[in-house]
Amino acid sequence: MPRPTSPFPLLAAALALAVLQVGCATKPPASEPDALEEYYQTNDPLEPTNRVFYAINNGLDTVLLRPLAVAYRNVVPEVVRTHTHNLLTNLSEPVALFDDMLQARPRRAGDSFMRLLVNTTIGIGGVFDVATGWGWPAHDTDGGMTFALWGLPNGPYLFLPVLGPSSPRDASGFAGDIAMDPLTWIGQGAAVSALGYSRYSLNAIDARARVLDDLDKIKQTALDPYATIRSLYQQHRQSQIDEARSGEPATVPAWFAQTRRP
Amino acid sequence: MLTRRHLLVLLPATATVALALALPASPALAQTAEQAEAFIRQTGNELAAVVNGPGATPQKQQQLQAIVDRTVDVNEVARFCLGRFWRTASPQQQKEYLDLFHRVLMINITGKVGEYQGVSITVGRAQSREGGMVVSTVVNRPNNPPSKVDWLLNWENGGWKIVDVIAEGTSLRITQRSDYASYLSHNNNSVQALINALRQQASQQG
Repeated sequence: MPRPTSPFPLLAAALALAVLQVGCATKPPASEPDALEEYYQTNDPLEPTNRVFYAINNGLDTVLLRPLAVAYRNVVPEVVRTHTHNLLTNLSEPVALFDDMLQARPRRAGDSFMRLLVNTTIGIGGVFDVATGWGWPAHDTDGGMTFALWGLPNGPYLFLPVLGPSSPRDASGFAGDIAMDPLTWIGQGAAVSALGYSRYSLNAIDARARVLDDLDKIKQTALDPYATIRSLYQQHRQSQIDEARSGEPATVPAWFAQTRRP
Repeated sequence: MLTRRHLLVLLPATATVALALALPASPALAQTAEQAEAFIRQTGNELAAVVNGPGATPQKQQQLQAIVDRTVDVNEVARFCLGRFWRTASPQQQKEYLDLFHRVLMINITGKVGEYQGVSITVGRAQSREGGMVVSTVVNRPNNPPSKVDWLLNWENGGWKIVDVIAEGTSLRITQRSDYASYLSHNNNSVQALINALRQQASQQG
């Protein structure tokens, strides 16, 4: 009799069962206005399902991603990690540029363009982040923010398998970013796809290593880490969107500003 | 009881008060903004001096606690974090909660002394918001990108008090409140359950 070689079919079955069983959060009755207000504010009608995925991700993180991130931080020297991070950031700079343009933020797009240009050439393919020192620092931009600036509604909070905290808008933005990425489409063959996968894996480890202490602290001090992460994510996204909407600083290169000022 | 004569006396009095409040409004506001900036500058320098200064960690923690006690309205933060459940708590529970909140907050703040070695704070501008003042700063730590930190201040008893810290757009007290609210909703909205959980936190980490 053939037996499943991996635990995944079992996991999928357990998942489906869990989702069917727990379903949606119960909305408080209208007789409790405070509780109802809280329900709308947390914007998490799928909480029971989200918590299942949170538990699974947490388990995967404990056995896989966190140990990798810890090893990465302990084994790889800081200089190498910084340059790796710079390289990964530069690889995603075209997508940042497209998003800035789609958001109709010309100055931020100018920053992204100059970053891509300067770091790819003088920064030797993005290993050195020269642009920041020259007055073009990095900023947060992605497809989810693009959709937000277009006025699309966020939808309910989602905790997605592997990807973590999200929303329908942010998840669509994430998919849009992958579709817009030239590196998704350039080249063919085993070597190219291997490079692509190593880029995604390295990105995950780099991102996880950068929040190692913060996430440990949250899990240690929060009474309900799920709710704390949800709140942090929602607030952080809102502040990123607010900044993209209002923050249009003049992109004067550092050397220009210095020569102009007495 | 208010008679017509009382009212006649009161009327000019209130008018004078209103005028006095309204007329120098903008210079007073500018002055308070400067005061708020100066307050955060001084507090930031004190914090940085303790963190970067000599001395053993327990001694630094004690100094930090003194600064926090003096500059932060911990009771106000605690009430905010409990939200609507503050009203349903008994006076005894309120007292117990405030005490535990204070202890847990201190543990969380002083536990980070080591991580902030080499910290420096650049104070930006103050703006009035939410009935108080928000002072924006940039906190620099070695080997870390500069982070934007806003400080929400309330004017209380003739002085500024910190009531919230907003780091990179995330408010500490809103995050804390949603943590407590979620814990309460999964524990039958029992304030006593929250108090017990806080007591456990205070004893475990303290």
